Amino acid sequence: MQLYRLTLTTMIQRKVWIIALLCVLLLPAVLPYLTPYESNPSLIEPARAQAAWVCLWVVTIAWLFFQAARFGDETSRSGIGAYFLSSGISGLSQMIQIWLACLTFLIPLVAITLAVCFVGAMPSDGAQAQMWVATNLQYAALFLLVVTPLMMLAVSIGSRFGSTVGYLVPLCMSIYGMYGVGYLAMMTEVQSNLLLDWLYIMSPHYHLADLTPRLVFKQGSMLSSEFLQLVVYFVGIKIVLAMFSSITFQPRAAT
Amino acid sequence: MNAPSTKPRVHLDSGLSIGYGKSLARISGNGDGILLEEGTHYLLARNGRGKTTLLKTLAGVIKPLDGGYQCVGRCQYLSEDLTFDRELPAKAIFKALLKKSKYAEAINLAKTVELDVVKPYGKLSTGNKRKVSLLVAEFSICDEGLDVLLLDEPFTGLDAFSREAFQQRWDNCQDGVLRLVSCHPDFDSMKVKSSVLIADGVIKQAGGETGDQSWGVIKSQLN
Repeated sequence: MQLYRLTLTTMIQRKVWIIALLCVLLLPAVLPYLTPYESNPSLIEPARAQAAWVCLWVVTIAWLFFQAARFGDETSRSGIGAYFLSSGISGLSQMIQIWLACLTFLIPLVAITLAVCFVGAMPSDGAQAQMWVATNLQYAALFLLVVTPLMMLAVSIGSRFGSTVGYLVPLCMSIYGMYGVGYLAMMTEVQSNLLLDWLYIMSPHYHLADLTPRLVFKQGSMLSSEFLQLVVYFVGIKIVLAMFSSITFQPRAAT
Repeated sequence: MNAPSTKPRVHLDSGLSIGYGKSLARISGNGDGILLEEGTHYLLARNGRGKTTLLKTLAGVIKPLDGGYQCVGRCQYLSEDLTFDRELPAKAIFKALLKKSKYAEAINLAKTVELDVVKPYGKLSTGNKRKVSLLVAEFSICDEGLDVLLLDEPFTGLDAFSREAFQQRWDNCQDGVLRLVSCHPDFDSMKVKSSVLIADGVIKQAGGETGDQSWGVIKSQLN
């Protein structure tokens, strides 16, 4: 796990994690006060939960995806990948070690988000509180299932095509999966087109993992069967992306 | 059944050809090839003759064009352009990559060769950056003594004092490590116990059983 330790040490040394930590910790405390809470104080708590999850999405996509792509690129270009390759550490193992280092920063951020929702936005009613906890845990699970394979993709594409491409691909995929697919759905409703239908089916439906509206409008947790269906769907995408990433990762610069 | 080998060994088979697409250098088809065992061997050739390509091939980073080789032991290929993150100080690099017991030894040698271990890597001079890589490779060797270190121009940018410190360590340390070191010696009287030369597109062994040769003598064999 030398590469894991080296990547982790580098991330700690760069100190950008402090900004990420502060964003996830402080913005959910400040942003809810931009709502018209004076006229309706009950807005504060749902707004806090919304701010917490939105901050987590933004920090993950803006910072961790970029870090992942950059480490993939640097490992390949700096000769570190070739060094580890020569000492018997396979490309797959190197990619997983970099990915795990990024994950080591992601997990505490998810934990903080959950803590903000549990401590700062928990409904006072017992039944609602139980539902609130379940919804947040479901959200955390789906969030991790969506972002972790994209982070691995950033590492692998970064190692082969450089940090810019490595960052843009998962960024575009996540934005498309969150918002673009919705527009595509509207288009397929307006006009019947086989190609668009096929594209809609094949698209990653990451918007399904966004449970923010459920939290904001207190719709309650998902049914177990519904949640499991989503888990299976995202695990499927995860397997495809993990396979693609392991093929794409290049531990040494092209000669 | 053969007893497991306890010493590192590199054997370049006769007919081994290295290069990218077209052959850059090869080992003559007749003969037993080249056998290197524990100790320090210098890989000497003029620029662009295939030193780095040979080291990369032995490290398994690229494939040989033809023929084969055996590398017995745990390989470490230290490329000439190996770099670390510019914000990391050498101390943090050693901590991340070395075992605790080796870390203290690395810090000691760093002091001897006057490497500032708290200065960020990006602010170190070329020679000091090389020291960091060399120290990582030197102290990553396992205690079983079955290591093959492939060092690509490790002395580039190093001052004479630091280079001698490393060479002395290699001579004095009975660590059972095989070191194949590509370099361009800068003084004719430098003694080379064993060397592999690449000249006229042919890889051949010099020194070894014939005893020490000086760089001044070997130089005349390189075209």
